[in-house]
Amino acid sequence: MNSQLDYINDLLEKDSELRDKIRDEVHDLDKKTRMMAGILNKLHSTPQDQIAPLLDSVRPIIQSCRKNSSALAEIIPPNQLWKWKDMWSISLRNAIYSAALVEYVTTRSLISLEQVNATLGIDDAWKDRFALTAEDYLHALITLVNELSRLAVNSVTMGNFDEPLKISIFVKDVFSGFSMLNLKNDTLRRRYDSLKYDLKKIEEVVYDVSLRKLSGTKAPEEVSDATKSSQ
Amino acid sequence: MSEIRNGLRSKQEILSLFDVLRSQLDNFQDTREKLIKASRDATNLSKKLIFHLHHVMTEGTENGQEVAQIARPKLIQIEQLFATMKPDLEGDQFWRYQRVVSPGLQEYIEALSFTHYLTYNSLITWKEVQDRLSDESGSPYFPLPVEDYLLGVSDLTGELMRYAITAIPRKGGRATANAVCTFVRQCKTDFETLTPHSRELAKKQRVTVESLHKIEDVAYAVAIRCYEYDLPHDILDDIVSRTLGTSQPGESRGRRGDHAEFGYY
Repeated sequence: MNSQLDYINDLLEKDSELRDKIRDEVHDLDKKTRMMAGILNKLHSTPQDQIAPLLDSVRPIIQSCRKNSSALAEIIPPNQLWKWKDMWSISLRNAIYSAALVEYVTTRSLISLEQVNATLGIDDAWKDRFALTAEDYLHALITLVNELSRLAVNSVTMGNFDEPLKISIFVKDVFSGFSMLNLKNDTLRRRYDSLKYDLKKIEEVVYDVSLRKLSGTKAPEEVSDATKSSQ
Repeated sequence: MSEIRNGLRSKQEILSLFDVLRSQLDNFQDTREKLIKASRDATNLSKKLIFHLHHVMTEGTENGQEVAQIARPKLIQIEQLFATMKPDLEGDQFWRYQRVVSPGLQEYIEALSFTHYLTYNSLITWKEVQDRLSDESGSPYFPLPVEDYLLGVSDLTGELMRYAITAIPRKGGRATANAVCTFVRQCKTDFETLTPHSRELAKKQRVTVESLHKIEDVAYAVAIRCYEYDLPHDILDDIVSRTLGTSQPGESRGRRGDHAEFGYY
């Protein structure tokens, strides 16, 4: 029993060391996601012509998350992705959310799984240690939609009446995607329910704007160019 | 940002992505439910085995080999359940479902370690458990987490407490109770060093300490009466079994400080 006790103690000791290392790395990643969220929060009060530089200031921070991805992939032992994943899930979701918001505001499109992997520097070869899971991606998209419903409201306040219409089309598409999923009674399910309120809020804004004939008409393709010049 | 690929612009692109995600989530749920069922079956069979072993022991089976023989087919039945889980738990998938497998696994370890104690009077090792959870060629069904091993054997102390207390009135029962007492005390000491690593183990440790107290109280009650009568053990055994005749001690009544039930000595 005694040699076994030492052996087990040793194993558990190593796990705690590993846990400390992961915690440090996640802490660093967290600092970055908070910084990005802070900058992106200014979207709600930034005039259109200043949005591009705002997004440009976020991009280098997103890219710097690659360092954390490769560090985590290095630390996690083979096949132990799911053993430790809970430690970084929330931070990773926040990073994905920031990347998705930047992508949406820049190109009016939904960031794909491949894009997230490329942006955050997640290598497919690490998939047993550090990977982007469907759950984390979906959680990030819900956060994105939550944020876009706020943006729809605030852009009208700033006099940008076309934004809610664009957001409405995009969010409806994402929502029909979500409604295809067979969600179980878990956190994803509860957060999915919150999407309905976001959708309702955005529709109300669209209604208010169209009722007052405030929105101009612009083709969706011109949108990214128009970001700089309009109004 | 989009230097590698573009984002998904059309509704069609978005829906086909969600289609992929749906099948991933569905596969996960299906596997999870399958494993939950198997784990629950393992829990039930293990509980039955433990119950059966208690019953066998109160019937007076003192022979370790006999116990091992009774338990063997039942243990194999549970191990076969774990064998069926193997394909779903390969590579990185084990840790994905570990929380689902864990309850059945811990209950099995409790039953196995109880059998092992009754047969060899010793604590089964992590390695011995892992070996039983492997196929003939020695390749494990899945890696046995030390946490599950520790939590499983931690529950063993509760079973041993019950076993020791019901053993008292039988011939040689006091010696059994004392042996169990020493063994559980050692377990408590050994686990104590590991508690900082596992909150779950720390919780179970409190139960272990409680069980130990119960056994110690019983050992005390027995000892004080032995001093009083100052008789050789075998003669005392005879007196006890004659006196017992009708009454049976309740196994759940061994509370700390409650010695009333030993009034028949």
